[in-house]
Amino acid sequence: MNGEPLTIMEKRIRISGSLLLFGLLVEVFSLLWSHPTAFIVFFVVGGLSMAAGILIFLYSLVSIPNSHSNKDT
Amino acid sequence: MDTTLIILFSLIGLTAILILMLVLRPSLTATKAGKVLAFVALFILPAMSGGFGVTTHMEHAKRTEFCLSCHIMEPYGKSLHVDDPNYLAARHFINHRIPADEACYTCHADYTMFGDEKAKMRGLRHVWVQYTSNPEPPLHLYNAYSNLNCLHCHEGARTFEEGATHNADPDIMKAIKADTMSCMTSGCHDTVHATTTLDKVKLWPPAKGATK
Repeated sequence: MNGEPLTIMEKRIRISGSLLLFGLLVEVFSLLWSHPTAFIVFFVVGGLSMAAGILIFLYSLVSIPNSHSNKDT
Repeated sequence: MDTTLIILFSLIGLTAILILMLVLRPSLTATKAGKVLAFVALFILPAMSGGFGVTTHMEHAKRTEFCLSCHIMEPYGKSLHVDDPNYLAARHFINHRIPADEACYTCHADYTMFGDEKAKMRGLRHVWVQYTSNPEPPLHLYNAYSNLNCLHCHEGARTFEEGATHNADPDIMKAIKADTMSCMTSGCHDTVHATTTLDKVKLWPPAKGATK
C-alpha cells in the first residue's frame, strides 16, 4: 500500500487472507441456506478454501526464516 | 435467528475484519505484535470459525425442514400429517413421540457408534443420487431398516415389553431385539410413510396438510 515491494511473506499473507475471506463468505451464505446443497458447498468450496488459506500461512511461517529482510525484487 | 448463529456470525465477522486488515496492510506483520495478530487472524480464528461452522451445519442437517427441503421428499413430509394411527410415521410425528423438529433424523439415524456420521454419509449419497439420476417416489432405503432405530426408544417401555403380540411366542421378542425380525416388514407395522396412498387419506391438522 505504501509503494514498497512486498516481501514473499507479505504476498503469502495476502493470498492466505484472500482464500480465508472467500471461505468465510461461503460459510456465511451456506449457513443462511438450509438445504443439503449448502451443506456440500460449505464442506467442499468453503472448507477447501479455508484449509488452503491456513496451510499457506503455516507453510510461510516455516519456509521463510526471516521474511522482512527478504524483499522481493 | 438462534443464538448459536449470532455467535458464529460475530466470530466470522471479527475474523474477516482482522484478515482484511492484514490483506490491505500486510506490512503490519513486520512487528512482533503484528506477527501475533497474523497468527490469530490467519490460523486460530479461521480454525475456530470453520470448526464452529461444521458443528452448526451438522446440527442444521438434523432438522426436519432440512430433509424436506428437497422436492422429492415432499410426499414424505406430507405423510407425517396423516390422520390415521395405522400410519407409523404420522403416529409418531403428530403425537410428538419423536421431536417434531428432528423427525427424520430421529428415526433414520442408526443408534450405534458412528451412527451420526453414517447418517451424514448417507445424506451425502442422497444428494449425489438426486443430482446424478432422476429418482421418483416411492424411494427405497439403501439397506433394510434397522430395529435399533425403534428399540432406541421402545426398548424397556412397558407397552413394548409387555405387548401381547411381542410376547405371543418367546422367540419373537428375542428376534426383534436381535434385529432378525423386522418391526416393519414382518407384517406388523408395515404402513410407515405409504406415500402412494396419500391422496386417499385425511391430514392433521386439516387446514395445514403441509410439510413444514
